Amino acid sequence: MGLLISKLAHYNQAQKKQNKTKNGTPKVPSSQLSTLNSFSHSLLKFTARRTPTSYQMETTQTTEGGGGGATGIAAQMEVEAFRRLFPLPFYKRHLLESVRPDARALDYARDTTISLGPVASADGSALVKIGETAMLAAIKLEVMTPSKERPDEGSIVVEFYMPPICSPMVRPGRPAEVAPVISKQLLDVIRSSGMVNLKELCLISGKASWIAYLDIYCLNADGSLFDAALLSAVAAFTHLQIPLVSVTEEGRVFTVSSEQEEKTKFELVNKEKRKLSLSSIPFPLTCVIHEDYILVDPTAEEETVMETSITLVLDTLGNLVSIYKPGGVGLASTEIMKECITRTKRRMQELKTILEESVSVMEVD
Amino acid sequence: MEYVNPLTGLRIDGRRPTEMRHLKAQIGVVSKADGSALFEMGNTRVIAAVYGPREVQNKGQQMNNTEALVRCEYSMANFSTGDRARKPKGDRRSTEISLVIRQTMEACILTKLMPRSQIDIFVQVLQADGGTRSACINAATLALADAGIPMRDIVTSCSAGYLCTMPLLDLNYAEDSAGGPDVTVGILAKMDKVTLLQMDAKLPLDTFETVMQLAIEGCKAIAQYIREIMLQNTKQLECRRGS
Repeated sequence: MGLLISKLAHYNQAQKKQNKTKNGTPKVPSSQLSTLNSFSHSLLKFTARRTPTSYQMETTQTTEGGGGGATGIAAQMEVEAFRRLFPLPFYKRHLLESVRPDARALDYARDTTISLGPVASADGSALVKIGETAMLAAIKLEVMTPSKERPDEGSIVVEFYMPPICSPMVRPGRPAEVAPVISKQLLDVIRSSGMVNLKELCLISGKASWIAYLDIYCLNADGSLFDAALLSAVAAFTHLQIPLVSVTEEGRVFTVSSEQEEKTKFELVNKEKRKLSLSSIPFPLTCVIHEDYILVDPTAEEETVMETSITLVLDTLGNLVSIYKPGGVGLASTEIMKECITRTKRRMQELKTILEESVSVMEVD
Repeated sequence: MEYVNPLTGLRIDGRRPTEMRHLKAQIGVVSKADGSALFEMGNTRVIAAVYGPREVQNKGQQMNNTEALVRCEYSMANFSTGDRARKPKGDRRSTEISLVIRQTMEACILTKLMPRSQIDIFVQVLQADGGTRSACINAATLALADAGIPMRDIVTSCSAGYLCTMPLLDLNYAEDSAGGPDVTVGILAKMDKVTLLQMDAKLPLDTFETVMQLAIEGCKAIAQYIREIMLQNTKQLECRRGS
């Protein structure tokens, strides 16, 4: 134990020499790069597969890999131990340099990718990855009778699952606590944003309408779960292709697959209306707050260490759709809220571009 | 229905009777897991994640403290089949398949090397088109290898059936629901031993031998593919370490 404390003290001293000035630029200062390399090298040793999320990390990793040496490895063991034993001071040292352990700046989100149509059997689907967090959303449409109060509207049912593959915290018999919370949040945001006009889900007024079952599965839980889930829901709705439908003489509505389109003898009810027209698409951003620092798009580790998170949802028309700050140690002043809103605006533009690109890629195919 | 076209000898998806579907595998898809793999056999797509060896969570389940406890859970996504399933896990079929996969993997994991610990294998079916059991076992093998858990041998599994007087390899959903026999075999590839053998519907004995032989051939082909994938993965890791 004494040896560990002395080694930690040595590490602290080394860190103090590097934390001379506080700069607010997004670029990682070169003095910090070497320490980060050692972080990445130790990360590589313990979790062989973790891919870095910053380009600077990637290029330097290959050169640093073979080196290390005896003293290098000894220092790296202490870094990992320090990270586990004292997570808050570990992060504080990074925040003083305006950087995070994965070499991101405080206001940079991780690489986001959207892929449309991975599930061929669903009517609309999307796979979204924000850093390592992966979400798979799929929509299946079924015909139902609309309610009497709303005879010309369909409905949407949202279910969010966190299967045990996504995180070591989730076990059979011990489901994730956040899953129903995110499920409710998603339903509220999708309904209140008015992205989907429920009247478009109507087939025959009063007799038949669509019910859209949206199922979202978390395949890898590494922070910002709500962001990825909402983005995948939005992308799935963008990809949704309403199946053709026709009516029998008894009035029973059934779906017609595309091969049977020419052969069917019954009249096709909705030949023109195949895609939903989405107005005001909502885009989310989750931030964690620690004292006066705002960290955008946290990883799972950052979320657990700094317990206060805020989620903001903005739509493409610039309206604030949802604010969600469920308590927490950190208190958000008006300035911090305004900062978060600015960051969300920027993120919304980024996500809008990414979504449009993936839609155009799909249309080219 | 013509499952095998008498003129061309091809099946409904254009394969020959002894041809397997297109295989595709990827290791390390879930970064949070100790080991994970995505396995595709045609349109059947399955993700397996392995957590372990870790501390036993339910001391009551621990039978003896000389061996590791292996747990498995199989669940299907709501959208994996043609019609949206209402109860993806906890129903009888999922419980049965979970048990089958657990016992198959237990046969090959060297549990005596990791006493008082627990190995969790979770399998999630994203798209189901027949042969989900086999795809899950193959994915679990890759995930266990990725997690570095010591195993006796790699376990691979494949199914075969008998329709229109022809033995068919690797049935898809349409052929499986045709009502003919469905033989699923799981073997330890190099030791050439059978760990899993399941069959339903009636089949005369000599035909059964042919069908089982065909399934074993399929398993060996999958084992070959799995070895290639693992070799590629190791080369990548070696490259990243910079040696």
